Amino acid sequence: MLIKRTERQARRGSLATALADQSGGGFDRRTFLRRSGLAAGGLAALGALPLASVRKAEAGAPPAKGAAVTIRKNICTHCSVGCTVIGEVSNGVWLGQEPGWDSPISRGSHCAKGSATRELVHGDRRLRYPVKLVNGQWTRISWDVAINEIGDKLNEIRQKSGAESVYWLGSAKFTNEGAYLFRKFAAFWGTNSCDHQARICHSTTVAGVANTWGYGAMTNSYTDIRNSKTIVFMGSNAAEAHPVSLQHVLEGKEVNRANMIVIDPRMTRTAAHATEYVRLRSGTDIPVIYGILHHIFKNGWEDKKFIEQRVYGMDDIRKEVAKWTPEEVERVSGVPGAQLEFVAKKFATEKPATLIWCMGATQHTVGTANVRAFCILCLATGNVGAPGTGANIFRGHTNVQGATDLGVDVVTLPLYYGLVEGAWRHWSRVWETDFEWLKSRFDTPAMMNTAGIPSTRWFDATLLAKDQVTQKDNLKAMMVMGHGGNTVTRMPKAAEGIDKLDLLVVADPHPTTWAVLGERKNGTYLLPIATSYETRGSRTSSNRAIQWGEQIVKPIFESKDDLEVLYALAKKLGFEDKMFKNIKVENNLPVAEDVLREINRGGFSTGYCGQSPERLKLHMENQKDFDVLTQRAASGPAKGDYYGLPWPCWGKPEFKHPGTPLLYNSNLSIKEGGGTFRPRFGVEREETLPDGTKRTVSLLANGSYSKDSEIKDGYPEFTLGVLKKLGWDKDLTAAEMEVINKINPTTPDAVSWAIDLSGGIQRVAIEHGCTPYGNGKARANAFGLPDAIPVHREPIYTPRPELVAKYPTLPDARQFRVPNMGFSVQKAAVDKGIAKQFPLILTSGRLVEYEGGGEETRSNKWLAELQQDMFIEINPADASDRGIKDGAWVWVTGAENDSKARMKALVTERVGKGVSWCPFHFAGWFQGVDQRSKYPKGADPVVLGESMNTLTTYGYDPVTGMQEPKATLCQIRAA
Amino acid sequence: MARMKFLCDADRCSECNACVTACKNEHEVPWGINRRRVVTINDGKPGERSISMACMHCTDAPCASVCPTNVFYTTADGVVLHSKDLCIGCGYCFYACPFGAPQYPKVGNFGSRGKMDKCTFCAGGPEADNSKEEYDKYGTNRLAQGKLPLCAEMCSTKSLLAGDGEIIAQIYKQRVTKRGYGSGAWGWQTAYRESIAS
Amino acid sequence: MAKLFAQIRFIAAAFALVLAVALTSPAAAQQPSSVNPSAAAVQEQKLLQELSRIQGRISIPDSRASVLEQPAGRDWRDFHQVTLRWIGGIVILGMLLVLVLFYLTRGMVKIENGRSGRKIVRFTSFERLIHWMTATCFVVLAISGLNITFGKSLLMPLMSPEAFANWSQWAKYGHNYLSFPFTIGVFAIFLMWVGGNIPNKVDSEWLKRGGGIMGKDHPPAERFNAGQKLIYWIVVLGGTAVAVTGYLLMFPFYGTNIDGMQLAQIVHGVVSVLFVAAMFGHIYIGTIGMEGAFEAMGEGTVDVNWAKQHHSLWLQEEAQKGTAGSSAKGRMAPAE
Repeated sequence: MLIKRTERQARRGSLATALADQSGGGFDRRTFLRRSGLAAGGLAALGALPLASVRKAEAGAPPAKGAAVTIRKNICTHCSVGCTVIGEVSNGVWLGQEPGWDSPISRGSHCAKGSATRELVHGDRRLRYPVKLVNGQWTRISWDVAINEIGDKLNEIRQKSGAESVYWLGSAKFTNEGAYLFRKFAAFWGTNSCDHQARICHSTTVAGVANTWGYGAMTNSYTDIRNSKTIVFMGSNAAEAHPVSLQHVLEGKEVNRANMIVIDPRMTRTAAHATEYVRLRSGTDIPVIYGILHHIFKNGWEDKKFIEQRVYGMDDIRKEVAKWTPEEVERVSGVPGAQLEFVAKKFATEKPATLIWCMGATQHTVGTANVRAFCILCLATGNVGAPGTGANIFRGHTNVQGATDLGVDVVTLPLYYGLVEGAWRHWSRVWETDFEWLKSRFDTPAMMNTAGIPSTRWFDATLLAKDQVTQKDNLKAMMVMGHGGNTVTRMPKAAEGIDKLDLLVVADPHPTTWAVLGERKNGTYLLPIATSYETRGSRTSSNRAIQWGEQIVKPIFESKDDLEVLYALAKKLGFEDKMFKNIKVENNLPVAEDVLREINRGGFSTGYCGQSPERLKLHMENQKDFDVLTQRAASGPAKGDYYGLPWPCWGKPEFKHPGTPLLYNSNLSIKEGGGTFRPRFGVEREETLPDGTKRTVSLLANGSYSKDSEIKDGYPEFTLGVLKKLGWDKDLTAAEMEVINKINPTTPDAVSWAIDLSGGIQRVAIEHGCTPYGNGKARANAFGLPDAIPVHREPIYTPRPELVAKYPTLPDARQFRVPNMGFSVQKAAVDKGIAKQFPLILTSGRLVEYEGGGEETRSNKWLAELQQDMFIEINPADASDRGIKDGAWVWVTGAENDSKARMKALVTERVGKGVSWCPFHFAGWFQGVDQRSKYPKGADPVVLGESMNTLTTYGYDPVTGMQEPKATLCQIRAA
Repeated sequence: MARMKFLCDADRCSECNACVTACKNEHEVPWGINRRRVVTINDGKPGERSISMACMHCTDAPCASVCPTNVFYTTADGVVLHSKDLCIGCGYCFYACPFGAPQYPKVGNFGSRGKMDKCTFCAGGPEADNSKEEYDKYGTNRLAQGKLPLCAEMCSTKSLLAGDGEIIAQIYKQRVTKRGYGSGAWGWQTAYRESIAS
Repeated sequence: MAKLFAQIRFIAAAFALVLAVALTSPAAAQQPSSVNPSAAAVQEQKLLQELSRIQGRISIPDSRASVLEQPAGRDWRDFHQVTLRWIGGIVILGMLLVLVLFYLTRGMVKIENGRSGRKIVRFTSFERLIHWMTATCFVVLAISGLNITFGKSLLMPLMSPEAFANWSQWAKYGHNYLSFPFTIGVFAIFLMWVGGNIPNKVDSEWLKRGGGIMGKDHPPAERFNAGQKLIYWIVVLGGTAVAVTGYLLMFPFYGTNIDGMQLAQIVHGVVSVLFVAAMFGHIYIGTIGMEGAFEAMGEGTVDVNWAKQHHSLWLQEEAQKGTAGSSAKGRMAPAE
């Protein structure tokens, strides 16, 4: 036997020798350099070893002898970076994962979640078949029975309470096709109460950013951060939330010797790599930004030319900033002036500089205002619209950008067409559905143009008195497809809300918290859904790039594709013919490619019109041709395209627009992916001066225009009328004119670039070097918002009640069909001295191992092992005051609902004194009670724990209904 | 001749644990066995660094010399492998290992360690390359397939390097020169009796 | 130059501001005005110079995993591979050598006056049961233990690695499982015979006369002479030491960490080889070293003349109790 080992050593030796012969020194040097991230991606083609041939003979977990191993490419389902997942499949079994070296986004990398993602289809803890709750017992039923019963119940509720009493809660886990169909489904059902995770993640970003410069998305990209000289993270812990993005950040930091500044209440894993760490008090982002702007304006570091040409209303900001002296900033936020001066100088003078933010900024009652302040900082320093600059908003889920784009939202139709008749008519034309029929689906015609109820308030719409909810009746049914039940604040209220529902349907790969929260005995259905690895379709990363995922394996157990479930429900409800009129359905499964083509046909407003399935698949097949830094293919069949055709990708697919890697980049011609700020709020505005006189100010760009533009100044959006004035209408083809005339036979001149289904208006504008949507100014003053100029407002539950008088939250108001009582709640909290009873700030965040509500990742044994207990971080000083030891059990009590939660203490200096922090991924324990027995057998996640949101409290952003889990109060005591 | 080594660039590591789960995924490592792990030093304080650690495949490996049954052998690539057939689960390699690499499944009621398990540098064990027997005992043999350890290949920030010692040392040196700082090639002094001048 | 000026001004301004802030708001002094985590990064070499090991935080609930590096493992290896082997070799081989030389020079210690034919109960069956249980365990433990340290060099070349691993595996099981009866035995021995093993004046006299090992001198002794007491205490204390350290090794991380286990192994190893050496002496004197000694533990009775020669005081005591001369076997010995 020993002989064998010697033999083997010899064999090993010869292997190594063989390799050495091949490449000159052990393993191929270039492969090493490339894999280690030193050499450029272009070397990929030189990658040495003939892996493919080795592959066939020998697979990871060895396949049966002779079985072929196929490689399938999909996209990681866990965050918005969009890492490529390579699955090795043999006989329908996903055997192993390989690094996706060719991806110009992830370059083979993954985080803990991506590296463990194969476990999702092992299915150890997946829901295996449909079940319903019968007298408190989970009972197996067939899909047919489930769809029938659910459909009947929906119809019953519709008849009794109206269409608005059913809530459609969708998902950022949908493919684009799933998201689009879900929104379309809600429209066909007849409600705008259709929402998804974006509500609680970046809804305030979308609102704030879109209100500033036109589109609600990351302006640049993950890889573009490599160009930055100064990188500021504010309320973002990318190391845990977007680990692969950190590859680009850290490499950029190293190559450029860039400044990396982290502004956060918590010394995070991201902050560990910073060159400057700024600790602020949770919820004081605006004072900090104004504190930075104070130094910028004082020292004249602002970009005056940029402001003059491309920004409206910066003087109004100066007035507000003047109030924020370094002393006041420090008094409110705790950040020393000197440190902010340092940050200001770096951000304004060591350019290009980028500002990255996440939930730390958005999840506040002032979320939209925070975002606006961030945009203003970028605008003031000219840090938008060029490589290395920009508002790099890192979104959370794999397809939260796509689901937002495709209108799984209470205020828009797909692709940001607002809730107005023109938009409905546009989509009825795309859908080839009668507008009047659509209108008839709503309880009243007015509801068609009424924003829905945000996902943060669904239980208020269930629990409040009927007359408090501005619709026909209370909410009676929740249709939840791919959304956790523990991600929304005020969970004790959600539990009450769940009990009051007539119908609860959860369609998800896992039972989720919805299945166990509350005390329901009947009327709950759980439907097993396939993960994205078991389906095919496209998904949009944070940088607006769209990637096509192949089906790696067939749906496991009785799981079904989202598309199939929507089709089955539509069929049951009797509108499948209308809804799938132009979409082929094979074996009850709508064809994803056809769905994308329909999106292309209607997606002009956001430039979702050029990304045909064929083009996207071509990109996935030729990933290696794309450069990491520029994201552009230098050769190959996709030559000239930017990877994933980041939207806007103008015109029809045949127009071959390459996509837009950076928004508003006027250094490039529109045809090459350039852009201008979008004049979305009119072309001019009447202002009243202090002396009472009025003047009209243009909102169009002033002497700034994109490269190759034939109009050397600002201009409005394009319509047929505008083209005619310019004499460019002659460039339209007869076919295009025919379509335009059909859209508006009476006044074709009013047909705009956004509703022209021929794509002609876009094409002509772009061929003249102009942006179809116009060339406007970004708005520092976003008139129309509750706070047109961002104003600091203390959190509802603030540890500094003495500041509330000066910085109160906005007055109570009705928003999204329900009351927002923030002002009253804040006042009551101050009056009752809540801050004394609950002296610790409670804030929350992500763990790298888990995602969102965590059902999926806590059910993954490889991930679950790494985080086995819910915990709360507490500063050593606070811990010793309370006699709490590291790792000990504690009770945490919240400021509302007499809430309490039992978890472990993690004593650490990550949090400052007076601050505590929790991860938000846990569920399955509720106020000290382990609910494991309430899950369907075998589908309980490996790790359970208290939900952070059991402790969170009231507070909603007035613009989007965003909740406030990032700044509330709690008390901790040893258990 | 290649001399395989690991190097964790702590100035890149963000404790994302991709290496840990990649390892679990590639080799179907059971719960409780951690062939690779990430430890954070000075947690929460400025200066905090995280380091991914597994068997470093030491030069003159202490585990091999203390092993009472000679289960360890070093391949021509410098990878320290072991034979589970010969292991008696005495735990001595664990006492000797400077990196806490050996892992033991709990098989009995008291202290009866099962057969030792550790990082194989994705190079399997004594059985025939990529045979089922090898996979069941040691996991995938990527080296024999011409691939490097998956932990390093999937590292989110390209912090963890695996490969020929000279090449990865050169990569690390270049990084340190380029960025102007480096907290050291963690473990190299102990494992290989060498340090990379930074 | 202008740049330098600007820098100085900036620093001065920053300083003034810090000062002003510090004066106006004492609370603010808590927060430094610049924190550069990159520049403050911990350095491995520095940590290793300061501490014997590097430990941090890890999310898995397993304290051992939080130790990143313990270079002490190398030192322990040196102990185990070099020091322990030398100690073991010298002590065990040395003891054997001494015994051989002693036997050659002194030969078997005879019962001077020949056997009287009369027997006296020396050890009850219970005592003998305990003794032999402990002794059997000890022999297995010793062989299986020595195998761990020396087997690789001495035994492995004689067989295939698989056979050696198989044998070692069984040896390990034997070592682990027999540790329990061994420990019980040691504990019982302690309780059973502690009364007779408290050192006293008789012992000093006995020791002064060298125990009569050389020549024909037979210093008086009670039931246990000083030599036996020495063995007793070696068994009790050594047994306790190997048991405690052994269990620490057998139950990893219960009450110890890796340092503790290394230390435990060092103690276990050193005490064990000394123990083994001492037991060689014990075995020698109980068998071929002395006529009539083995039957004390073998049958439980000894010849009265043997008792007179080696344990005169004990014999007297027994005689007073009126038990001397009884040849009835199995009779209960009086309580100690």
